[in-house]
Amino acid sequence: MNLNINLKAENTYDAIVVGSGISGGWAAKELTEKGLKVLLLERGMNIEHIKDYDGAMKNPWDVKHAGRLTEEMKRTHPVQKRDYPYNEVTEKWWVNDLECPYTEVKRFDWYRGFHVGGKSLMWGRQSYRFGDVNFEENSKDGYGNDWPIRYKDLSSWYDYAERFAGISGQNEGLEGILPDGQFLPPMDLNIVEKSVKESIKQKWGNERLLTIGRVANLTVPHNGRGNCQYRNLCSRGCPFGAYFSTQSSTLPAAMDTGNLTLRPYSIVNHIIYDKDTKKAKGVAVIDALTNKTMEFYAKIVFVNGSTLGTTFILLNSTSDAHPTGLGNGSGQLGHNLMDHHFRCGANGEFEGFDKYYTYGRRANGFYIPRFRNVGKDKRDYLRGFGYQGSASRQNWQNDVAELAFGAEFKQKMTTPGAWKMGFGGFGEMLPYYENRVYIDHNKKDKWGQPVLAIDCEYKENEKKMRTDMMNDAAEMLEAAGAKNIKTYDNDCYPGMAIHEMGTARMGKDPKTSVLNEWNQMHEVKNVFVTDGACMPSIGCQNPSLTFMALTARAADFAVKELKKGNL
Amino acid sequence: MDRREALRSVAILLGTAISAGTTDILFSSYTLPEGEKNAVTFSAEQLRALTEIADVIIPTTKSSPGAKAAGVGKFIPMMINDCYPAKQQQSFHKGLMAFEARAKKTYRKSFALIPLVERKKMLTALRQETLDQKANKNPEKADITYFFTVVRDLTSLGYFASEIGCTKAREYVMIPGSYDGAYPLKPGQKSWAT
Repeated sequence: MNLNINLKAENTYDAIVVGSGISGGWAAKELTEKGLKVLLLERGMNIEHIKDYDGAMKNPWDVKHAGRLTEEMKRTHPVQKRDYPYNEVTEKWWVNDLECPYTEVKRFDWYRGFHVGGKSLMWGRQSYRFGDVNFEENSKDGYGNDWPIRYKDLSSWYDYAERFAGISGQNEGLEGILPDGQFLPPMDLNIVEKSVKESIKQKWGNERLLTIGRVANLTVPHNGRGNCQYRNLCSRGCPFGAYFSTQSSTLPAAMDTGNLTLRPYSIVNHIIYDKDTKKAKGVAVIDALTNKTMEFYAKIVFVNGSTLGTTFILLNSTSDAHPTGLGNGSGQLGHNLMDHHFRCGANGEFEGFDKYYTYGRRANGFYIPRFRNVGKDKRDYLRGFGYQGSASRQNWQNDVAELAFGAEFKQKMTTPGAWKMGFGGFGEMLPYYENRVYIDHNKKDKWGQPVLAIDCEYKENEKKMRTDMMNDAAEMLEAAGAKNIKTYDNDCYPGMAIHEMGTARMGKDPKTSVLNEWNQMHEVKNVFVTDGACMPSIGCQNPSLTFMALTARAADFAVKELKKGNL
Repeated sequence: MDRREALRSVAILLGTAISAGTTDILFSSYTLPEGEKNAVTFSAEQLRALTEIADVIIPTTKSSPGAKAAGVGKFIPMMINDCYPAKQQQSFHKGLMAFEARAKKTYRKSFALIPLVERKKMLTALRQETLDQKANKNPEKADITYFFTVVRDLTSLGYFASEIGCTKAREYVMIPGSYDGAYPLKPGQKSWAT
C-alpha cells in the first residue's frame, strides 16, 4: 500500500507537457521558469544537443549514397520518402511509417519526427507574425469560426517569443498583413534579388514588396548561442546552436530551472479524466521500449503532440462524460484540418549579373507578403498567398547537351552557370468542416494503439488561387527583366507543407469550438492545447512563431489561474 | 547549472533508455531486404570496365583528376546494389554485359583494355543510341541504353560528391561563416561544391 502511494507521489508533477517540439519545448520552458515542476513527455528517443547531430559535420563525401535513398529506406518509409525532407543524412529523425501507420482516406503526406525536439530540429525556420487581416478573415467571409483573439492580444507575446528565439529579419511597416517584430539584423538579399525588389517597387509601389525572409537563424550571437555560419545544413542539427530548436533554446532554459524532468520513449495514449472534479487527472503512457503502461499525474496538462498527434490523444481520451473524445462537446474535434498549398509559382533566368557570384550558403530566401484580397484588391477566390524563393547562380552551365560526357561536360559542370530565380507560392487553405481526422480501429501501430484516418482535400478556392500563384510570379519576373520565364504547378497534397493545423480549434463559443481564447479546453479547464491543432485559420504565413507566442501566453494564463486556485 | 551540464544531466536521467543496445535495435544499419539485396554481383573485369567508363565520362583534365581517381569505380556498383530495385539492378547488369560483349566482339578485349580513343568512340556511339532509343523504343536496346543513362548519372553524382570532385574540380568551403550576395567572380572561378 505504501509503495503505491509512493509511486503515485513519484509520478506526480505540477504540470505535464506532452510533446517536446516547438510548442512543447516552449510550454516546458515557460512553466518551469514560473516555478512549476514539469514532466515533459516525448514519444521518441532522446537527441542530445550537438553530441547527437551525427550528420552535422559531414562533408559531401562522407555521405555514403550521396544523399540518395536506399531501397530499404524507401521500404520502411513509404510516406516519408515522398518528398525531400527525408534524406540519407537525417533519415533517423523521420518516423518509420511501418511502425506508425495511418489511413489515407485521401492522399495526405504526414511527415513526423518522433524524438526529443520533434520537428523543431528539421523545420524550415521561416517565422512570420499573423496580422489582423488573418485574425478577422473567418468572421468576415464566414469560413470557419471567428478567432477569439485579435492581433493586440498576441503582439506582446510575439515580441517575447522573438526576443528569446532569435529571429532575423527586416521591419517593413506592413501592419495588418505582416506585422513588424523584434528582429536581429536581417540576412542579405543577393544582387539579383535586390534588383528584382527594386523592379517590383517601381511597378507596384506599396502594393507589392520583396523582403528578406524572417528566419529563426541568428545573424549575431544571441542568448549564449552562436551565429549562423552559412552552411545551410540546418536540418542536420546545428553544432553552433545558430537556429531555434528545442535543443538549442527552450530545453536548456527549462533544464536550467532545475524544475524539468524529461522522459523520452513515452507515448501518451490518453488523458485520464476525473469525472468528479471534471478535470484531467494526468496521462496514461506506453513506454515505447518496454510496452509497459504507466500513469503520470499533474494539476495541468499541456498537449503539444503536433496537430494530429495531439488530436489523436484527445480523440482517444474517451469516457462516459466525453464519449467522442476529450472536450468534444462541440463535435469539432478532428475537423477543419488545413495545410498550406504550395509547389506552384514561376522561375526565370537573369542576364547582366555574370560578374557576380555568391559566397556562403544562406539558409534563407526572400519573402513577398500577401498582396491579394487585401486593401482594394479583390479576386474570384478568398484569402491569399505569399511567395518564398531565392535567386542563385546555378552550379552548371545551361547548355550542357543531353547525356553529354567528357572533358567539356566536366568543364561546364564546374563553372558557375546562369542566375536563376524561383518564386514559390504558399497559399491559405480555408477551414472546411468535412476535412477531418478520426480514429481507425481496424489498424494498429507497433504498440497496439489504433491509428488516425485522414480525410482531407484541397477544394475549388485553393485551385483558383493557384492560377494567380503562377501568373503573379511570372508577371513580377517579367517586370524585373527575367528571361525564359516558366510557370509551374507541381501538384500539392495536404500534408506536404508540414503545416497541418486546425483540428481542435479555438473559439469564443463552447458549442462551436474546442478551446477558448487562452488555448484552454472549454470543457476541461486544466487541459491546454497550444500546437497547430488550435488554429481556427492558417493565413499564408509559416505558423511556428505563432505557436510559440500562443504557448507562452497560455502558460502565463495557466499559472495565474493555478495560483488563483481556479485549476 | 550551466547549459552543458544541464544537457548532460538529461542524458543521465535517460541512462538506461538510450543504451547502445536499444539504439542498435531501433536504428540497425539499413540493408536491403533479402529479396532485393545484391540482385547482381560484378566481376573483377566488370568493375574495371565500370571504372574506365566513369573515367571517360569525367576524365582527368588540367584542372583536376577524373572519376577513376575519385573512386567512382567503386561508388557505382555500391549504389546499384543499395539504391535500385532488383529488376533495375538486373537491367543495368545486362546492359553492362552487352556493352562488354561489344568491346570483345570488336576489339577482342574487355573495355578496360582497349585504347582510350576507342573507349570514347564506343561511348559516343552508345550515347547516340540512348538518345535515339527515346523514339525507337527498341526492346533489344532497353538494357544497354538504361545502363548508359544510369552509369552516366551515377558517375556525375559520385564524382561531384567525392572529395576530389568537391575540392579539386569545384571549390568547397566547409564553414563559410558569412554570406556575400554580390561576390565578384574571380578569373577561373570554380563553382561551389555543396
